[in-house]
Amino acid sequence: MATDFWASSHYKRWIVDRATLRQARAEDLQYVEDPEYFDLLNIFFANVISKLGKKLQLRQRVVATATMFFKRFYLKNSYCETDPFIVIAACCYVAAKAEESPVHIKNVVTEARLLFGGKFSSHYGIKTFPSDNSKLAEMEFYLVDDLECDLVVFHPYRSLMTLCGKPGNSAVLEAEAGELGVGIQDGSQSWGTGEGRLELQEGALQTAWFIINDTFRSDLCLLYPPHLIAITAIYLTLVIHSSTRDSIGLHSSDSSSGSNRRSPRSSHSHSKKPTQDIVGFMAGLNVSMEIIASIAQEIICQYTLWERYKEEKGEASARGSFATELQSSMSSGLKRTASGQLRAASVARSRDGTPVDSTQRIVGRTRQPAVVTPAFLAQLLIRMREAKMADMAHPATGRPMALDKRLERAQNA
Amino acid sequence: MLEDCANSMPLSQDPMRYYRAKRDNARPRVGDKYSILGFISSGTYGRVYKAQSKAADAKIHAIKKFKPDKEGDVVTYTGISQSAIREIALNREISHENVVALKEVILEDKSIYMVFEYAEHDFLQVIHHHSQTLRVSISQHVLKSLTYQLLNGLLYLHDAHIIHRDLKPANILITSGGVVKIGDLGLARLTYQPLQPLFAGDKVVVTIWYRAPELLLGAKHYNKSIDIWAVGCVIAELASLRPIFKGEEAKLDSKKNVPFQRDQMLKIAEVLGTADERDWPGLKDMPEYQNLKRLDHYNNRLHEWSTPRVKTQSGYEFLKQTFAYDPDKRLTAREALKHKWFTEDPVPSANAFQFLPTHQIPPHRRITQDDAPSMMPLPTANSHAQAAAQVQAQAQAQLSQLSQSHSAKGSVASFGSNGGGGGGHTRKKSRLG
Ligand SMILES: Nc1ncnc2c1ncn2[C@@H]1O[C@H](COP(=O)(O)OP(=O)(O)OP(=O)(O)O)[C@@H](O)[C@H]1O
Repeated sequence: MATDFWASSHYKRWIVDRATLRQARAEDLQYVEDPEYFDLLNIFFANVISKLGKKLQLRQRVVATATMFFKRFYLKNSYCETDPFIVIAACCYVAAKAEESPVHIKNVVTEARLLFGGKFSSHYGIKTFPSDNSKLAEMEFYLVDDLECDLVVFHPYRSLMTLCGKPGNSAVLEAEAGELGVGIQDGSQSWGTGEGRLELQEGALQTAWFIINDTFRSDLCLLYPPHLIAITAIYLTLVIHSSTRDSIGLHSSDSSSGSNRRSPRSSHSHSKKPTQDIVGFMAGLNVSMEIIASIAQEIICQYTLWERYKEEKGEASARGSFATELQSSMSSGLKRTASGQLRAASVARSRDGTPVDSTQRIVGRTRQPAVVTPAFLAQLLIRMREAKMADMAHPATGRPMALDKRLERAQNA
Repeated sequence: MLEDCANSMPLSQDPMRYYRAKRDNARPRVGDKYSILGFISSGTYGRVYKAQSKAADAKIHAIKKFKPDKEGDVVTYTGISQSAIREIALNREISHENVVALKEVILEDKSIYMVFEYAEHDFLQVIHHHSQTLRVSISQHVLKSLTYQLLNGLLYLHDAHIIHRDLKPANILITSGGVVKIGDLGLARLTYQPLQPLFAGDKVVVTIWYRAPELLLGAKHYNKSIDIWAVGCVIAELASLRPIFKGEEAKLDSKKNVPFQRDQMLKIAEVLGTADERDWPGLKDMPEYQNLKRLDHYNNRLHEWSTPRVKTQSGYEFLKQTFAYDPDKRLTAREALKHKWFTEDPVPSANAFQFLPTHQIPPHRRITQDDAPSMMPLPTANSHAQAAAQVQAQAQAQLSQLSQSHSAKGSVASFGSNGGGGGGHTRKKSRLG
């Protein structure tokens, strides 16, 4: 059924394991010095999609769907063999249709050209974006094929609203989430009854919402079912709101943020007995705490990684003050509190030898890595593609570029 | 070959050329996997062909090719239509005995091909067969079996929060084994708290004769119950062999505003009586309420209508409840399946044709050869096997045409290339947006 997650194309064909993720980047790996660039590119691409989405006035769910399409596309393709910018535009174009809020192809072309290569967005510097509608339509055609025509995507937003939304409380968020509770109602037999609906206050709900937004900047949405991501977001929210509510100043955003217009109430009176709530709520859900803990761990690492990623000046303000503020308080707040609490839960996982993968690599990093900007990453993508094309054009002559990179990496290590 | 492409490619101009070449090489072609046996029909959005799989199972399929986009004479990419996206997206998610199964989608040469399981018959054809050839009404057993299976498929869709929005006899198919298959999800939508209200996307849904009163009265909000109304119309048509509410569609004005569908509303009132606020409290909030008030007054004569056609009291009650004016009072698919009518003899069966003598089973679907070769991509190789298959296909097609020369004219109307097939203009809905 289209609304039963366990019978969906999303669950059946598009939840992948880490080996698949690694395989997907194998070709690209030959053309980058630092594999961590892939994590940074994840942030970069999600930001670009979200910016284009804003220009096209797409709802959050549509942006999330577009992001998912993009990620699925690159499970089968390499950055170095494609132009991610036209793929991004096509993802937004198809996602809008798939979510029944279509935008005109001409709009997409115009906005994409402005954003990627326009005078005022020098930091992408993409001058090759075609002005011809049919080029985008052509990309759409190939994209839909690579997506295997699986265009219905499930998102954590609706799980979040089903689990925590107070009826009538968050009209805007509810509308954004759309199709509430899908994957929860129908999947209840597998993971709890959903009867323990947790009433999060507006501010906390929004925190969870933003955490979910941020998970689209990692590969989590390819690795885990959306409701587990939603539950982790709720879990992290409760953790932050119970122990760092006062210190990280989350509620200061209430007055400043435009995205918070619906609630005149301040969020001072968040969950009164948060500790109890967490325990009871989580127990009622009947999901594996180990999985939740490892997802949480990855989210925290993602925020740490984020410190390496800097949007250029000017651009930073455009991100919206709330999001920025939240991110910084999250990364510091979480490091202080959440990760401490989560440590215990994740011990079990590391003890039996399960690789915690990139997460540990990043957390355990001692040398201070260089800050990376969108302009740098946009350049990186072009260099990767040029190197790949050069290798293909002259396969017999000289030493392939790919080999150079591998040597370089070996020497650096 | 791919290397050539990389060689000759000015990267700065078309960075995706290498990618496309790679994909084009890897993609299976329609002509490699299926032999086209003939052309079935053209609908609003495309043309449907009968095809046989070249795989060992040699199964028969229906391939729907979406109309390619043209700029002048040149086929070009203009973006996949909303309708195709819907039909593809929803079909990829669903699977049910009573819904046509999508086997695969092939994207090739700027065209989209949807490969469906083949269904030999459809409700419209069964109706025509009875009215034109047999000249008897459809038996109560067949009627109930078709209805029950239709509702069973609809319940599945509704549980999945999908509204079909275009149920009509031509879109409800039947396999040669007498199994009902709901088809054509081109107007269907996921409805659970959508981002956009339903009416925003498509101004007009459901072919006029099957359109529920709330739609005719301009309601901005509607739900699954519009499908139930259409089911009621379909059952009534099966029972009487002609559309129960055969109104004239008022055309959109030059600004594409939807006019009040006066005649259709009248046709409904003639059978069900004039709609009344006492039965339908929401009536006065309908945008076309004032127009409705201006119509002549009619009394309900559904009972009179039903007696000779559906025979039993419970059959009448069943119809009455699917034709409740108030959408909230209409039967749901789940309630309908539990209705007393289905527990009384003759009870429905999984093969609707189970008890039919062979001569009463409707004829095979007609196919023609006219357009088939030119509309399909040429097979990639001119192998012996393919030539043989072609000959065989033509022979089969001729045979099946011969065997149907007696079948009703007009059941599968004009095969013209302008996509105007179907049974008369009123059976076509206009799709906007
Ligand atoms: N699976 C199938 N098996 C056999 N015939 C089919 C099948 N699917 C469709 N057809 C035939 O093709 C016709 C058109 O198909 P369909 O309704 O899917 O297209 P459409 O363009 O949406 O048409 P419409 O505008 O009439 O709804 C059907 O009425 C039926 O006669």
